[in-house]
Amino acid sequence: MFTRRYLFGKGAYGLGIAALARLLGEEITAEGQQGRLPHFSPKVKRVIYLFQSGAPSQIDTLDYKPGLAALTGQDLPDSVRQGQRLTAMTATQSSFPIAPSIFEFRQHGQTGAWISELMPHTAGIADKLCIVRSMHTEAINHDPAVTFFQTGAQLAGRPSIGAWVSYGLGSLNRDLPGFVVMVSSGSGRNGQPLYDRLWGSGFLPTRYQGVKFRSNGDPVLYLSDPGGIDRAGRRRYLDDLGRLNQLKYDDFGDPEILTRISQYEMAFRMQSSVPELIDLSGEPESTFDLYGPESRKPGTFAANCLLARRLLERDVRFVQLFHRGWDQHTDLPEQIRKQCADTDQPSAALVQDLEQRGLLDDTLVVWGGEFGRTVYSQGKLTADNYGRDHHPRCFSVWLAGGGIRPGVVGQTDEFSYNIVEDPVHVHDLHATILHLMGIDHEKLTFKYQGRNFRLTDVHGRLVKKALA
Amino acid sequence: MRHLFPNSFILLAGLAIASPAPGAVEFNRDIRPILSENCFACHGPDEAKRMTALRLDVEDGTKVALAGGKRAIVPGEPESSELYLRVSAVDEGRRMPPAAFGHDRLTDRQIGLLREWIQEGALWQGHWSFLKPDRPAIPPDRHAGWPVNPVDSFILRRLQADGLEPSPPASKETLVRRVALDITGLPPDLADVDAFLADSSPDAYETLVDRLLASSRYGERMAVRWLDAARYADTNGYQTDAERYMWRWRDWVIDAFAANKPFDEFTVEQIAGDMLPGARLQQVIATGFNRNHRGNGEGGIVDAEYAVEYVVDRVDTTSTVWLGLTLACARCHDHKYDPFTQKEYYELFAYFNNVPEKGKAFKYGNSPPFVKAPTREQSESLAEMDAELRRLRAQRNELEKGLAAARQAWETSTSQGREALDWADGRDLVLAFPKPDERWRDLPRRFDGGDFEEFGEAANFGFYDRFSVAGWIRADSADGAIISKTRNVPGEEDTQGNPGWGFYIKDGRLQVNMVNRWLDDCLRLESQEEISLGEWHHVAFTYDGTRLASGLRIYLDGRPVPLRIIRDEMNQEFRSKEPLRIGRGLGLDYRGELRRLLVYGRALTEDEVAVLAVHGSLPELASVAPRDRSGPEALKLSLAFRDSFGPAELTALTVRIRDLERRRQEAHDAVPTVMVMAEMAPRKKTYLLDRGAYDAPAEEVLPGLPAALSKADPQDRLGFARWLVSSENPLTARVTVNRIWQMLWGRGIVRTVEDFGSQGEWPTHPELLDWLAVDFMESGWDVKRLVKTIVMSAAYRQSSRFAAESRATDPENVLYSRGPRLRLPAESVRDLSLAISGLLVDRVGGPSVRPYQPPGLWTELAGGADYEVGAGAELYRRSLYTFWKRAVPPPSLMIFDSAGREVCTVRSVRTNTPLQALNRMNDAAYLETSRALVQRVMREEGPGHDRRLARLFRLATSRHPRPEEAQVLSSGFHYHLDRYRTDTGAAVELLGAEEADLLDPSRRPELAAYTMMASLVLNLDETITRE
Repeated sequence: MFTRRYLFGKGAYGLGIAALARLLGEEITAEGQQGRLPHFSPKVKRVIYLFQSGAPSQIDTLDYKPGLAALTGQDLPDSVRQGQRLTAMTATQSSFPIAPSIFEFRQHGQTGAWISELMPHTAGIADKLCIVRSMHTEAINHDPAVTFFQTGAQLAGRPSIGAWVSYGLGSLNRDLPGFVVMVSSGSGRNGQPLYDRLWGSGFLPTRYQGVKFRSNGDPVLYLSDPGGIDRAGRRRYLDDLGRLNQLKYDDFGDPEILTRISQYEMAFRMQSSVPELIDLSGEPESTFDLYGPESRKPGTFAANCLLARRLLERDVRFVQLFHRGWDQHTDLPEQIRKQCADTDQPSAALVQDLEQRGLLDDTLVVWGGEFGRTVYSQGKLTADNYGRDHHPRCFSVWLAGGGIRPGVVGQTDEFSYNIVEDPVHVHDLHATILHLMGIDHEKLTFKYQGRNFRLTDVHGRLVKKALA
Repeated sequence: MRHLFPNSFILLAGLAIASPAPGAVEFNRDIRPILSENCFACHGPDEAKRMTALRLDVEDGTKVALAGGKRAIVPGEPESSELYLRVSAVDEGRRMPPAAFGHDRLTDRQIGLLREWIQEGALWQGHWSFLKPDRPAIPPDRHAGWPVNPVDSFILRRLQADGLEPSPPASKETLVRRVALDITGLPPDLADVDAFLADSSPDAYETLVDRLLASSRYGERMAVRWLDAARYADTNGYQTDAERYMWRWRDWVIDAFAANKPFDEFTVEQIAGDMLPGARLQQVIATGFNRNHRGNGEGGIVDAEYAVEYVVDRVDTTSTVWLGLTLACARCHDHKYDPFTQKEYYELFAYFNNVPEKGKAFKYGNSPPFVKAPTREQSESLAEMDAELRRLRAQRNELEKGLAAARQAWETSTSQGREALDWADGRDLVLAFPKPDERWRDLPRRFDGGDFEEFGEAANFGFYDRFSVAGWIRADSADGAIISKTRNVPGEEDTQGNPGWGFYIKDGRLQVNMVNRWLDDCLRLESQEEISLGEWHHVAFTYDGTRLASGLRIYLDGRPVPLRIIRDEMNQEFRSKEPLRIGRGLGLDYRGELRRLLVYGRALTEDEVAVLAVHGSLPELASVAPRDRSGPEALKLSLAFRDSFGPAELTALTVRIRDLERRRQEAHDAVPTVMVMAEMAPRKKTYLLDRGAYDAPAEEVLPGLPAALSKADPQDRLGFARWLVSSENPLTARVTVNRIWQMLWGRGIVRTVEDFGSQGEWPTHPELLDWLAVDFMESGWDVKRLVKTIVMSAAYRQSSRFAAESRATDPENVLYSRGPRLRLPAESVRDLSLAISGLLVDRVGGPSVRPYQPPGLWTELAGGADYEVGAGAELYRRSLYTFWKRAVPPPSLMIFDSAGREVCTVRSVRTNTPLQALNRMNDAAYLETSRALVQRVMREEGPGHDRRLARLFRLATSRHPRPEEAQVLSSGFHYHLDRYRTDTGAAVELLGAEEADLLDPSRRPELAAYTMMASLVLNLDETITRE
């Protein structure tokens, strides 16, 4: 009889990962290919990206424009618009009335960052944040814009940022995937759809794609054993399966068989590690107080933030949350209140929690959406109601954690319409995220269709002002 | 000198297997890859990036005089050649490629090759794949049992050159399973295995191969890879990702492969079947290939932007699939590695840029152009109904002739007008206002502004519904709502809300609005002419449910009037919760009189509108002499007689005809459509787009082929299609045989199946590739023959066991020193399990089906409706019929590396992950499969655990277990049996309560234990591998 140790002593680990990778052809990692990752000493080991899908209004949250009040209802001057293309939803609108935010802004912390009353908890951690007010992108519609943020290209087909990182750096944890995704819906209007491609691997091997953790059913697809199979039964099953596969390997010598054996073992470990991970029963009351009452409800943004912290504690390298519902073309004041109520406290709690646990120093937290929103009202502007259309020319995101310099980067004009200082393109943000992980964005490449592709295409400059 | 392919060594990009022998450097194989990777970016095809006159991608470019009279290459004199001197320079400032640009020094090996090449005379070659292939001579080498056919000769020569021997043949059990899985995508039945094992005739294998190739399953198997390449899916992609209908094209592909349609016809019909003289419907359906790209219907997109993206997708897909070229690179600038300029890219683009389409696709369903594509059954059924209709109408004509006297009598009595009497068509009538009595007596209703009538939920039509409104008006004001189902506020300022439909007088013109959003999601038309006020007019509109302006007509006084399209952008439902109102809507109150306003739930025909617009009542018309009646007047009398006033046999026949007409309409509505290619005249102009941007057109270009590939420029898409499969094109045959080779061997002879350009990998067996390509063309592009040639070879029939020396020397099986051992593609992993368990429903074609999928996957990403699992046979069809939603593709297929179907995919990828293990072990669908497999074994095999376990194993692997394997199975079985005997509740849980109920309780533990073993066998590496 074989023991497991015998099997795996001789099996996958015995052969050596490098040798395996060489034999597996398609599965050569960037490590194997380039042999010099990380390219330099990383500032962070992990990334948690809180993606706000649908595009939050910068004007009502992080980009304070006190001068707009005096211009309420006036047409946005052509000199500001500069013929910039608009979405077809408002391109034929007869006027573009300026709609100042109805929300109060105040300065917070030592950095004195202006933050809206919609985000009191975020305001409470102002000194940990680097607020980039000068983000800009190229797409003006959700699908291409989110795809651009996730993959560096507007059209489908490229690997997502988390897949690039997994490919480049591999996993730090042998019981959990290296790239985990969770989605949630806001309390506001039903949001824009998401797509599996947003965490896909594009032309990279599929094993680098994000694994979606779900709040309904199995937390990872097909994780649970069917009813009627207990752990001992599954163990025995895997031992027998391993024996038969090993016999096949002994006969045929195909190293792929050994990989298969090891992947079944990893599956078995995930069957314990994932339920343990999502079991919040051991969390003290103070945790739920910190993240807010919604954190007890599976599938909420707050619960996902808490799970994200647990994933990061276990060294899952890239975690990404997607929170839907920010697409406020109409009824923005009412809708954005709900969205902020969903996200403000847990986002701030996550930063604080990571800090308390000593993890913030080597974790990067990113918060933001795919583009911004227009200063002019879409549809009718009234004293307490307005809507905002898509606006790619400027918007705000924030960063926190290792290697980040708190403060404000970039500046927009008085209308929050154009950037006047330190523009940060999506490629620049990508380059900066990779840089913090020890990756030179120009050197993390994958050859496909005759070209060395990279996340940042042929662009990307470090956002030096955001770096400590 | 085209086939200078010495066999002494091989160089794969980055993977050296043996050292070069002296005197054997060859430009295309050894030198071009170095130059391409390291030099072309600045000394290559891209004019904008070229720093100096020196080019290293074309021979002439290497000959220019450099500063100081030096030359890059002096044949025979490496020490005088700047190329060599600069790449080998120690001084970083002098060295090429420049360290300042982040380049590393070339490896010693690369520098050595360059030196040797120059030393030997620097013989230049055109890029290999751009030269037309000749049929190479077949090497004479022999080995025990080799060659069976020329494939072997080329492989054997390489093997022997590397000091390797071929592997022994695979066992017959292995071979029958291998070839069945390769040709049909499904494992052989045990009966087939037994028959093959028992057949000792020399042509047993060939008989088997022929039988497999003749199976309809072959068509399905071949189609799957083509669907990946063609980015076929059942949804539109992008934001909403709603359903589209391209399955008739998918079935065309299956049928084409099954019927062995020659690949040249297969090509021409898919690229330009619509342009063939006298194109048949099937040939038009074939052009769905280039409409499979995604379509963006997101609100607010810029139409022109996506109109460009669709054409780009066609160019990229077509050039990848047929030419193996990465032309996408030349969209924004000249290609950096291959000889294609940006202008040439747009010349190619022009072939695909003349489709009458919009950048803003329909959010739901197929976007124009599309055609009705009935299945054979539907065609037959429609033809039957048409014949029956013709027969009934003829019968009615006969009957009416015989009823001339009765008709005359009726007209006479009607004309005497003993009672006021009228008639209007009552079929599909939703509303008549003011309400007439049963004899159609009605009076005008006056509106003085501010008064209106409400009818609640009536006429709550959707955008797929046919409907019509017709009525008499005498308007006093140039603005007023005749009828509306929308809020009573002005529409246009309201950019978001206020959906609905309505029929208005606006600025004196007749206007129809069907609106979701006023600015960008609506259908709005108005008459060009104004109507006169204060006079009676008959007005009407009809809508045919197509969502297009072309499906909407407005009538004045019984005649269609010229229209102005205000907006033709209807994308989402316009249903409104507002009540139907007459006399009010959009803040416009009607002033004047209305009479006989009729709302129909169908699109009235022109004749029908004309009849409604007849002013006279029946008595009035009957009093007019027949020859003095207008066409519509006469028609009105005839219709009234048929419908209501004739004898019972006529009215009964009329009812029968109408019933049949309705059924015929329903049958026609049920016919699926498929998006196809079409041409516009005059041709849409194409411009070079600066940086590839849709809004930066530069010079105009005409359709044309890249100069590197062709001297002539076909005029249109059909000409382009024919060029693709002409002997003038060096690429199509090579690229195609290479892709089929990849399907059977797991990798291409050119590993970069998508790139035959200078950045692509050098073919491992260039002569074999050319031989196959030429043979393929000369056979009349016979695909089955090509597949057969490969699978008949001794090379294909080798054992896939890793022999010690081939494992060391040929770890990746680049030299084919053994048979390929490959994990099955995603669809086969599932199909095989269904087949083994006996659940597979083997039916070819039809709408896509919805097998099991965990609940919630759609909703959690997109909100809205979740995936609905189908019923019955839908659960067990082959995976190529599984509904493919691009945003959330079927997880069990994606986990096994299925292509995502958003963009063209030709390279096959195989990974090995824990998610695959979880899927196979725990997916409820596979648990069901395991149970079915147990039932099958219990049915087919006599008693005895060992016999049953052996059969289980054999069903999955096509072979008997060896004693040590049988021992593992037996021991495992008894472990589970013991456990389920102690815990019968667990057995019931595993078997499912329903199923367990049917069993004698004493048998449950046994069946549960078998179920575990069935699952185990389905999870074996060997089961999901073809070896």
